[in-house]
Amino acid sequence: MSLFIQRMFDGLAEGSIYALLALALVVIFRSTGQLNFAQGEIGTLCAFFASTFTLSGLPVWVAILLAMAIGFLIAAFVERVVVRPIENRNPGAVIVALIGVFLAVNQLSAMFWGVDARSLPSLFPTNADSFFRIGDAAIRWERVGIIGVLAVVVVLLFLLFNRTKIGLAMRAVANNQESSNLVGIRVGNILILGWGLAGAIGALAAVMLAPSAGLTGTLMLGPFLYASVAAVLGGLDSPVGAVVGGLLIGLLKAFLIGYVDFLSDMLFPVMLVVLLSVLLFRPAGLFGTEKVERV
Amino acid sequence: MSDVHHEGDSVTLDDGEVEMATEVVSGKSAGGLPVFTPQHGALHWLGRVLVFALPLAYLLMRVFGVTGIVGGGWSNSGLGLLADAFIIAIAVMGVNLITGYTGQLSIGHSAFFAIGAYTGLVLTQGRVSTPFFGDENVWDPGWTIPVAAALCFLVGCVVGLPALRLKGIYLALTTLVFVEAVRSILKYEKFEDVTGGATGIKGDKYTPPEYVFDFFGIKLPTGLDGRADLNQWMIYLSLALLLFIMLMVSGIMRSRIGRAMVATRDNELAAEVMGVNLSVIKTVAFGLSGAITGIGGALFGLKLGLVDADVPLFGLFGAITLLVAMVVGGAAQNWGPMVGAVFYVFVNEIARSIGEAPADYEAVFTITLIVLVAVVMVVVARYVMQHRNDIRANVSNGAWKAVLVVVGSMSALVAAGVMLLGISDGGKLDGLGGVIFGVLLILFARFVPFGAVGTFRIFRSRFVQIIPKPPSESRAAKAPEGVQVQGR
Repeated sequence: MSLFIQRMFDGLAEGSIYALLALALVVIFRSTGQLNFAQGEIGTLCAFFASTFTLSGLPVWVAILLAMAIGFLIAAFVERVVVRPIENRNPGAVIVALIGVFLAVNQLSAMFWGVDARSLPSLFPTNADSFFRIGDAAIRWERVGIIGVLAVVVVLLFLLFNRTKIGLAMRAVANNQESSNLVGIRVGNILILGWGLAGAIGALAAVMLAPSAGLTGTLMLGPFLYASVAAVLGGLDSPVGAVVGGLLIGLLKAFLIGYVDFLSDMLFPVMLVVLLSVLLFRPAGLFGTEKVERV
Repeated sequence: MSDVHHEGDSVTLDDGEVEMATEVVSGKSAGGLPVFTPQHGALHWLGRVLVFALPLAYLLMRVFGVTGIVGGGWSNSGLGLLADAFIIAIAVMGVNLITGYTGQLSIGHSAFFAIGAYTGLVLTQGRVSTPFFGDENVWDPGWTIPVAAALCFLVGCVVGLPALRLKGIYLALTTLVFVEAVRSILKYEKFEDVTGGATGIKGDKYTPPEYVFDFFGIKLPTGLDGRADLNQWMIYLSLALLLFIMLMVSGIMRSRIGRAMVATRDNELAAEVMGVNLSVIKTVAFGLSGAITGIGGALFGLKLGLVDADVPLFGLFGAITLLVAMVVGGAAQNWGPMVGAVFYVFVNEIARSIGEAPADYEAVFTITLIVLVAVVMVVVARYVMQHRNDIRANVSNGAWKAVLVVVGSMSALVAAGVMLLGISDGGKLDGLGGVIFGVLLILFARFVPFGAVGTFRIFRSRFVQIIPKPPSESRAAKAPEGVQVQGR
């Protein structure tokens, strides 16, 4: 039982990272209908920035905030310069361009920070004795902290979307760009804001993951795939779905590794099966809105 | 009738390929005159080879450091690169078939490449029991290529089945996960007997035949300097296969299936209404493209002589590599993959040598910084010039935007500075090639959507003049009524 609780917390902590990344994907999908393939890589680049900031003596939380700001700027830049000019061409062009961003950003970090792992201190205590017990299970504070960060981000996003004028405008743009334009919302600025927000959240996910996973150029390759499966599972246009999907995928991964021995090295085939079954049997995901296509 | 009927009344440009949507110059000629179709006789091709192919071959040899003809010995690594370029071109032909012609964006074809490579080595190393073939389960390298193609065709059809219902980002995401899934399966320890698990398969060196052909005493040695050299043999083999596949694909694209593929890409609904069976077409297209990429993979495995699941071309970056080569060469262009792959290998090699050389980092980064500053200044200046009336008329509105722009550009500079800090503790120019290709993908997606070959064709078509031949001299006029003859 204690092992079960421990694995559950491991899964939830891992799942929180996926949920953060999935949230970022969902924010972008809602506003522009694109899947930001470069999301994870932008996060990795920001984590490298954070590690350089901490090396130069800044406190960790300042470094993380700065990294999030950089993530905001990079993602906003990508929207304005890369995506918007080709948005109205065929959908393939945007995907190709975003894959280009993926490659360029990934290799940029290799170019500037090399291929050796960097260290990034955690925001939470990581000493050997910094854990608490539920029964016999030792739960590390770091994991609880990551879950807490997810909770804070979810609450902030909820307040932003439902209690502010900008959030209202963002929901309006997500719903219908042309009508939003007609009622006087500056759609372009809102789109930039949405992408920037997603970039900041993605950067947060990367700096949360980096201390335990080790900061290398491939930090977010796997998590990005898990997070996109999570976002599709929850429904690509539903923030609630992203959180639930992320936590579910995290739990699934932890339990597969813990209990199903023959599948512990076969996570990606399992993810492929999950992804395909969602797409084929419930394309809208768990919480997404069903798309009605008019022919 | 799914077949697009413009055989008879289309104007065939030059070497007779009109399939791309970019360049369809169709329509009946004025006055009901039959249209001039160039007759491609042997002499025509001979002339073409002399004029284009020989200089190109010479150029390629010089580019890849092959200096044997003028003395100085053969550069073996240069030959290996040329072989790599042709092998990658074959793989890109597969991607081009499904993404360029059929319009199903796949970022997962490196999986087929990996499957092909593994098939080649598994069979030549006798790791599976094949009772009726091969000498003690050990296959002749050449015969593994069709097997790899067949296996990849099957896998492609299976992958194509769910892909029937997926489009756009969903298909791209699924193929992306597919790559990683295949890599996990190849690494899986339970299949270690066949695939070698995490360590992969290390094969014996593939010994090339001594003669390219030995025909009634007419012998063409494999190595031009007398030794049978693997790289040179791989160049012949992969070039021959590449040309064969190009011929095959161009044939497919002229057939009923090919037209149906293009129709599917351009408008699925319209294609279906015209009677195209979408599921059959997409499945066949996926299978065929998988098979073609698998052939490339088999050649790659044979040339390398060892495979493991961590070979870069087998993973996510391999898939992106194939995409880069296709986009740079030109989607839905028959010559695109070859141009793109040669470009990729060439630029990658240059970038690698720059990255490895003890470069003058300070100079490189000073230049980078200067370029960055210049770009930021130009952007700011352009912005101010565009919005100067705005700023004057509506100070508050203009002011916050101006502040935003200034803050943005300042932070870009700060970011550049931090990157320089990162460099100072031991960075190398490792990712230069990747950065170049990433930026190229972005630029091509925006400015050169038809790739190098497509743009060249558009450019060339401005200089083409269509002159109808008098009816009596045209072969089409001699044909019985209702039957269109296209001279090729």
